[in-house]
Amino acid sequence: MGIHGEKSRHSKKHKSSKDDHHRVTEDGNAYFAAEDFDDDRIPEGEPKKRDFTKLELKPDHLNRPLWACADGRIFLETFSPLYKQAYDFLIAIAEPVCRPESMHEYNLTPHSLYAAVSVGLETETIITVLNKLSKTKLPKEMIDFIHGSTANYGKVKLVLKKNRYFIESPFPEVLKKLLKDEVIGKARISAEVVHGADGFTVSKSLNELGGGHDDLLSEAELAAAAEEKDTHAFEIDPVQVENVKQRCLPNALNYPMLEEYDFRNDTVNPDLDMELKPHAQPRPYQEKSLSKMFGNGRARSGIIVLPCGAGKSLVGVSAACRIKKSCLCLATNAVSVDQWAFQFKLWSTIRDDHICRFTSDSKERFRGNVGVVVTTYNMVAFGGKRSEESEKIIEEIRNREWGLLLMDEVHVVPAHMFRKVISITKSHCKLGLTATLVREDERITDLNFLIGPKLYEANWLDLVKSGFIANVQCAEVWCPMTKEFFAEYLKKENSKKKQALYVMNPNKFRACEFLIRFHERERGDKIIVFADNLFALTEYAMKLRKPMIYGATSHVERTKILEAFKTSKDVNTIFLSKVGDNSIDIPEANVIIQISSHAGSRRQEAQRLGRILRAKGRLEDRLAGGKEEYNAFFYSLVSTDTQEMYYSTKRQQFLIDQGYSFKVITSLPPPDCGAELSYNKLQEQMDLLRKVLSAGDDAVGLEMLEEDADEVALMKARRSSGSMSVMSGANGMVYMEYSTGHKRLVKSKPKDPSKRHYLFKKRFT
Amino acid sequence: MPQVKIIAKNFIDMVASLPAVKLDMLYANPFICEAILRSLPPLAKKYVLQMMYIDAPIPAKSLEEWVLPDGLSKHRVAIDRLIQLRVLSETVDRKKETSYEMNKKFQINLQKQLIHGGILPREPMASSSVILPSSEELEIYALEQWEHFLLHLISSNQSEKLTNFSSSMMKVFQRGLLSQRDKEASRLTEYGFQFLLMETNAQLWYIIREYIANAEERGVDPANIISFLLELSFHETGQAYNINTLNEVQLNTIKDLSDLGLVKLQQGRKESWFLPTKLATTLSVSLSDTATRKQGYVVVETNFKMYAYSTSKLHCEIMRLFARIEYELPNLIVGAINKESLYNAFDNGITSDQIVSFLQQNAHPRVAEKVPTVPENVTDQIRLWESDLNRVEMAPAQFYDEFPSKDLFEAVCDFAREYGALLWDDSKKMQLVVKGELHNEMREFLRRQKQ
Amino acid sequence: MVNATRGLLISCDIPMAQFIISMNNSKPSNQKFIIHVLDDTHLFVQPHATEMIRIAIAEFREANTYEKPA
Repeated sequence: MGIHGEKSRHSKKHKSSKDDHHRVTEDGNAYFAAEDFDDDRIPEGEPKKRDFTKLELKPDHLNRPLWACADGRIFLETFSPLYKQAYDFLIAIAEPVCRPESMHEYNLTPHSLYAAVSVGLETETIITVLNKLSKTKLPKEMIDFIHGSTANYGKVKLVLKKNRYFIESPFPEVLKKLLKDEVIGKARISAEVVHGADGFTVSKSLNELGGGHDDLLSEAELAAAAEEKDTHAFEIDPVQVENVKQRCLPNALNYPMLEEYDFRNDTVNPDLDMELKPHAQPRPYQEKSLSKMFGNGRARSGIIVLPCGAGKSLVGVSAACRIKKSCLCLATNAVSVDQWAFQFKLWSTIRDDHICRFTSDSKERFRGNVGVVVTTYNMVAFGGKRSEESEKIIEEIRNREWGLLLMDEVHVVPAHMFRKVISITKSHCKLGLTATLVREDERITDLNFLIGPKLYEANWLDLVKSGFIANVQCAEVWCPMTKEFFAEYLKKENSKKKQALYVMNPNKFRACEFLIRFHERERGDKIIVFADNLFALTEYAMKLRKPMIYGATSHVERTKILEAFKTSKDVNTIFLSKVGDNSIDIPEANVIIQISSHAGSRRQEAQRLGRILRAKGRLEDRLAGGKEEYNAFFYSLVSTDTQEMYYSTKRQQFLIDQGYSFKVITSLPPPDCGAELSYNKLQEQMDLLRKVLSAGDDAVGLEMLEEDADEVALMKARRSSGSMSVMSGANGMVYMEYSTGHKRLVKSKPKDPSKRHYLFKKRFT
Repeated sequence: MPQVKIIAKNFIDMVASLPAVKLDMLYANPFICEAILRSLPPLAKKYVLQMMYIDAPIPAKSLEEWVLPDGLSKHRVAIDRLIQLRVLSETVDRKKETSYEMNKKFQINLQKQLIHGGILPREPMASSSVILPSSEELEIYALEQWEHFLLHLISSNQSEKLTNFSSSMMKVFQRGLLSQRDKEASRLTEYGFQFLLMETNAQLWYIIREYIANAEERGVDPANIISFLLELSFHETGQAYNINTLNEVQLNTIKDLSDLGLVKLQQGRKESWFLPTKLATTLSVSLSDTATRKQGYVVVETNFKMYAYSTSKLHCEIMRLFARIEYELPNLIVGAINKESLYNAFDNGITSDQIVSFLQQNAHPRVAEKVPTVPENVTDQIRLWESDLNRVEMAPAQFYDEFPSKDLFEAVCDFAREYGALLWDDSKKMQLVVKGELHNEMREFLRRQKQ
Repeated sequence: MVNATRGLLISCDIPMAQFIISMNNSKPSNQKFIIHVLDDTHLFVQPHATEMIRIAIAEFREANTYEKPA
């Protein structure tokens, strides 16, 4: 078959060029990628040498919860009494690789250390705490690595105070270095009152308020960390801010700036009267994430990662309530916009006339000079001609100084979209919310420099254990292809119809029908069936006589169906196309059946699961042993012996890394109820087969959502190169701007070693 | 005659299977008598004790009276055992009455043992002259010796002489475990892989069994080795015994036993001594197929990762049989089970059942209490991958068609069926497929039918 | 006269049978190896086809399996 031309080890070298299609960088050669790193280290074909048996165990190693290896890999025992603190610490400094029940794995990367430093962790603190928690003496390579990575990060902050921009640092020598740069030098505004010898203003630095891993540090260490340091600063011209930021990026001066917004002292921008309502009780992990964002009294820009259904909207609304300035909230599509508006009103005291939505259907405006606007990325970034009304609203958005730019589902929207949105709007603080972070090792993505580093990431399994999200039974149902369907699938001339054939496999249909019957009749559950193949969606929904929603379904129709689903006893199953992936929020569904899961996107799998992760029922019932302990079901129906098996396994990787496991079910439907289900007779099956084969090639492909800001797979690249690499994670997600004529710049990766990320240059020359 | 055949599943069984003469010789040693007594099933023990001081034969009927009606099968087992071990001898008189008499030698020596408490041919050495290792150290030593031996056993480098065993002895052990190829390096056979996944005592038992069975070829009486081993089991674990108390056979044997971790040899300035480890003193337990409760060390996660709390190179090699080793830390081995690594194992003849039982039996205490100990999706997937390999069966065969009559067709089918060689048939089309090996007979059959 | 043909009996499940048939169909006529398709789960093929079929099945299986890279 060979549709994917690569296997694991050998592919590492060749993955790179196809990965970077969507990453438009100004210079095109700014960031190294993991592939470079690998090229240097491993000769082709040889497994990495990971023998760390020589590390010396400390005498009390049993009491310490983690191992740290020289290559950056960290293992954490979850059953250790120090687990909680160790987890909080590790999630702040490292990227999780997998977090199942007994043992977690993390990777220490330059990127993760950058994130650590930006939430206030200092280099020495990181090393000390890590050493304390480690069973062995920290390898020298790791200590060097931490030093090297944190050398420049977090040393420089961009602070907006009273509408003036300041570059701050506790290290005057760093500031001096920056000022030597032409662009920055020109942007500087000299202060009238000068303290320091270099012309910097000097003030006392702010300290982290709580949550600084105090319990892991001794008194002496704490005191050292809290030592008052002076902060030096110089002012820059607001017009030049973007340019200055550019110059500080790793490809230039390499002192990427942290952005902090001193909202309490912002007297220029009007305050927004909104508070969290008393019934809005943030949960511990929501509090934690907010404390990372507001740790030192200012608002830090960055990304908060919470599992679907764990309540990231409350986090967003809380952040807006703390900042109390105008907030621009960006969502991925119109339905999501409605949801966010609803959440704002649900959790906060914001007045109705202070919040408005801006979508193709609603063009509201708020009254007065302060408020919350909820809109879509597409609406803001759209480059074509707008209606007059829209034009006016966009102008306002453009001209207003936003206190908070709240961005939902940040990893669905690719970088160039962000660039556009961020360049169009002026905001003091940017908060990105998402359920999944791209897990490409050691790769510093544009996102983190455009928005900010990861502030906090919650652990899925911990949330399940505490009853905050539902405990889901995941299962992969294996449906053998019928003889006739499989025969057609194997034919070369049907290569374009392969997907249709394995999705329309009658055995799969019967399994789906059986599951729907079972859950509806035996359990009274609410079921969502997902299909990103429109042909299948229609066939299934019509045959089973269930309502369906897809891209072209009108907003009104959608609302009607969803309302019925929520409230009516007769509507218990709905069929959704990809529109259902992000937008629609259906708290009451507890069963998901996936009949078509194309393109192998891990994020999509996780987000679909998210539809039912919202915990239902009482907390006590949800905990272990309770009657609702397993009340959510996620079925992925897969036709065996087809490409679908490959995609299915790949999609599951993210969830598996979070600790979920997929049970394989091979015996659905049970043989004794065969006759009750559709397609029982061969004739029926042959009719279906004929239908599938005679449908046009396009009709049996993926649904293409034009207007909606949902993810659209990189169809072109898939069809031409046939490479599987584009299926992974964010690479598959590309916005299709429907004003085509827009050429996407694709720069090839720099082969020139001198252009590689400086950290790795040093290590491998 | 014993009605139940005993299969040598453990050391005592092996003793029981020695020829009469040899067994009698063994019973000259009171310790051996006691060891045999200890190994008996409870009812048999009772009989021995009760008959200890009875010189005359006892009618079988009297013995049967000692037992309740529902205990008769156990009675039978006990009697058979005693006869097989030649502790009791059976006589049938003219009246066809059976009676049992205890082996005189056995009786006398057992009496001696019980009354006098038994004096070993050697005493532990005074603690002033030797520094004893702690029991922990000794256990670690035994484990290390055994693992070292095993590693040497499965490595293909036969020229290196790292153990006391002669290379020919090692070859004997390797027989069946390694395929001996002249030019290529030897590879583990199917049984060899399975061997590695077995419990330690089952492995040890296999080795000892071969060792004893091979004794005669080495010019050693197996009974002497057995007797020495039995004697050893009465020594104190961790106590030092002077080497000069051993005879020549025992001296040679002790060096081999040291390689297996049954004893530790030490040398002082003037004297040398040996210390029995737990393996030696709990022979009946340590040398049997039955599973003992070992400390588990493996944690398997739902994402197919495997974490083994072990520093043992042997464990690492065992894990490598079916998993990919990712990290080796001072006290942790990190591996991942995936399709490639499993297929590798299947290619080598290891079954999914063996892998799953290995994982279950060696589960780390932390997860051992969970049900299931090994995540279900992992065990399911291992089995599914295995069955995926067996989806297609191919058999050399002959296809027969163009039958002139239905009768002939059916006769041919019956013929093939009798030989268990009918693989497929279709009576409507009058076609059938028969195992290739029956071809000649079939040709003959058809020829005969023509006539 | 009864006709005897030497070959290989393949017993497998329906999908595998289809796969082998499809493999056979894609071969040029001088390389076709199926002698008879007996039923949905049995095929009679030429004796030399063993290795070729095994390899093809293994490749097919590989292509449909995702393995997480190291």
